[in-house]
Amino acid sequence: MATKRIESPLPGVIYLSPAPGEPVFKAPGDSVAVGDTLALVEVMKSYMPVEADQAGIFRGYLVETETVLEPGEPLCELEV
Amino acid sequence: MSQRSISVVKPGLETTVQELPGRIGFLEQGFPVSGPFDAWSFRQANLLVGNDRDTAALECQFLGPTLRFDCNAVVAVTGADMRPSLDGVPVAMWSSHVVRAGQVLALGPAYSGARAYVAISGGVDTPVVLGSRAVFHMAGVGGRALVAEQVLPLGVAGPTTLDAPALTIPEALRPRFATDRRWDIEALAGPNDDWLSPEAVEMFFSSDWAVQAKSNRTGIRLTGPEFGFAHRAIHKNSDHGQEPSNIIDHGYPLGAVNLAGQTPIILVNDAPSTGGFINPFTVASAAFWKLAQAKPGDILRFRRIDRAEAGRLRAELGRVTSPGVTALA
Repeated sequence: MATKRIESPLPGVIYLSPAPGEPVFKAPGDSVAVGDTLALVEVMKSYMPVEADQAGIFRGYLVETETVLEPGEPLCELEV
Repeated sequence: MSQRSISVVKPGLETTVQELPGRIGFLEQGFPVSGPFDAWSFRQANLLVGNDRDTAALECQFLGPTLRFDCNAVVAVTGADMRPSLDGVPVAMWSSHVVRAGQVLALGPAYSGARAYVAISGGVDTPVVLGSRAVFHMAGVGGRALVAEQVLPLGVAGPTTLDAPALTIPEALRPRFATDRRWDIEALAGPNDDWLSPEAVEMFFSSDWAVQAKSNRTGIRLTGPEFGFAHRAIHKNSDHGQEPSNIIDHGYPLGAVNLAGQTPIILVNDAPSTGGFINPFTVASAAFWKLAQAKPGDILRFRRIDRAEAGRLRAELGRVTSPGVTALA
């Protein structure tokens, strides 16, 4: 097993749950399949999903919801 | 002669064809002027590839496209640093590059700034709609954002292009992007500053305003302190509407800081031309490129200028985007 850091694919505001008040997309220990949504990035009035490109076990988010991230900045970690 | 073209492999995030001066003369029918948001970077890209500076080129927003060339061409990428590569090999921004038929130009996300421009020798030759190739994506005027597998026709390139030496824009003549996420934006008071309290006018020019993610080519939406209003905004004929920021429908100037309730929205290239909110301030056209390159969370500070200074800034922008600013790479 190795730890993989998932980065924001583009600059914007990160949301860790699908809507305010709802649970986060993934909790530590959850299994992750390819294509699962890990977070949303908001830019230009649109929400772009950040999708897993590898399966694994979710380890945790590295940022709070509504953080502004630059491309390449780490968002969360997976055990792959 | 066969048609020159490029094919869209990946479209990026709302990549559009833009052209200057934009769609002029149809505001009264509700058509915005559109055109490149950062005209400084746009024009320098065109100059690098030997085009007239106002020629149709691509505006890439936050995440750039991947394009396959169906013909030889000279290209240049300017504006936001999207780390362009040609067949996987990184190429410099702000410089001209010869591209051979079959090669692939790929742009990534914006690592600095928000909008990049891709100019191609001969220009993009999409159909002219109401006098311009500029795309108003939201209403589909002049086309829409690029989609995968779309083929973009190119115009006829000048005779010099492929053999010409590589060109660059000297760093001192490029727009300087904020590295601390703070931007000084030149703005004028008016037309409706007299609907705000004098304290609110001072507050606007002395406060930090954060760019919201809910910003696009229609408007740059800001978060900041609350506005106070003048007597005339509160005690007015009911035709004007109920909110202090309501006014009987009027024309909106390009660059207006439009106050909807307590949310200032700067009206930019694809903005509506009329409506019922006051416009207490107006951003100078020479500062638009900074609005184009500000990212969500960036801070704007507005510096009060007068019309004479706005004119000087506009003339200066014209000079740094004129033929002759390119240098041998």
